[in-house]
Amino acid sequence: MVERVSSLLRRSVEHLETEVPDSHALVVDSLGPLVVELDVDGELFSLRGGGGLDVCDGAAELAGARITTTRAAILEVLDARVGLQEAIETGTVSVAGALDDVLRAHDTLLAYVHAAVRAPSQPGLLSALRRAP
Amino acid sequence: MNAVLTGSDFLRAPLLAAAQPDGFKEWHHFVVHGRDHRLLINFSLTGQARNGGLAPRVIVIAHDERWSGAVERFDDGALEVSADLGELTIGGNRMSVRPDGYEVVIDLPQHDVKGELHFTSMSRPFVVNNQAVGNGRMCWLFVPRLRAQGWLRIADREHRIEDELAYHDHNWGRFWWGDDFGWTWGTILPQRPEDPWSLVFLQMTDRRRLRCLSRALYVWHHDEPAAIFRHASVRTRSHGLLGRAPDCTLPAPMRLLLDGDASGVPECVEITAHRAGDEVYAEFRPQSHARLAQPSEVSLDRSTVLCESNGTATVCGSVNGESINFVGAGVFEFLNG
Repeated sequence: MVERVSSLLRRSVEHLETEVPDSHALVVDSLGPLVVELDVDGELFSLRGGGGLDVCDGAAELAGARITTTRAAILEVLDARVGLQEAIETGTVSVAGALDDVLRAHDTLLAYVHAAVRAPSQPGLLSALRRAP
Repeated sequence: MNAVLTGSDFLRAPLLAAAQPDGFKEWHHFVVHGRDHRLLINFSLTGQARNGGLAPRVIVIAHDERWSGAVERFDDGALEVSADLGELTIGGNRMSVRPDGYEVVIDLPQHDVKGELHFTSMSRPFVVNNQAVGNGRMCWLFVPRLRAQGWLRIADREHRIEDELAYHDHNWGRFWWGDDFGWTWGTILPQRPEDPWSLVFLQMTDRRRLRCLSRALYVWHHDEPAAIFRHASVRTRSHGLLGRAPDCTLPAPMRLLLDGDASGVPECVEITAHRAGDEVYAEFRPQSHARLAQPSEVSLDRSTVLCESNGTATVCGSVNGESINFVGAGVFEFLNG
């Protein structure tokens, strides 16, 4: 059975908190109180700030930024076959929200990547992400 | 000469990292200067302060029309070191020091990378101790010229290696990526194998490359050191910027953090060395490069980038009354803080 993207993200942030706590704290600071709703191949979930990093299933009514994409598009970007800017310009990653919230979401993404590349558990989670449904 | 290799090129990590893993690093590095390709293989261990273990990693990149390859990090459970410290196994990958050289087996199935190479030493190794690297120190051993045989497959490209010239170095020490240092590290070997000269160059600077901390040019003639130029006897000049984006950034997710295309690789590096009647002039012109990126260890939101560049090297001069004049292949690594 293929693991849902929300579950992978939840496990990822839990590992960051234990493996690289200082980097995890930077992600929390970057996100601040923002709620980011994600739609990956129709799977709706959100990443919620406000002192922690909570991955919640389902739609988020008060999301400041909304990101719509696919598992395939995420892998294209992570494998550097497509740059993030190009993915947004071509619409394989769609981002909506007020400018400040979108910028905050982007800063959080960078902080998350900085944390993930320092954490030994993350390559295994990336392998799990590749197991497409 | 053969006994020197097995006696000196053993792994230090089990001796030096066990008690104090923080900042410890060690790697075995091989560069093949092939007729129509460059291959770079690196087995590395990094001390983990949090759990006291060693994080093993294997890098394999190749250039024919452009650079490509893979970087794979392994759990410390994938690491084995032989009792005599002469063999390092990381997953299905293995590097063994032999009396006459090195055996390297590569197997990275997730990246479709596989190969087997044998390196035969053709020159006396040399050790440099306690090189300052920011707030740390590093030692390194290099073999300026080896002969390589074997094969390496990266995805659908298979590289046959038949009596090609190669370079090896082995580094170990305690320092931190992202600390206040940078380096330019180059190997130059002639296109014609019968040409007896081999050169190795290292320049250490501060992170911004405004202050040179040390530099040296090592010149080997056949299998022996012919001249070693250090510090003020070596001058360098870099100019221009390579007007070409990196062929690849590895590991690929680091591309998200390094979204620019500016190369950080000069258009040309000139090295001039004079000492006791000997003189050497070397000019390296990079053609393309790959970026190997890793997280900074001194800042949570910075990365350290090693630019691996291939290009043409032109060398002239004279050492011990012997004329040097050849065109060769260079592989230079530029570490920009």
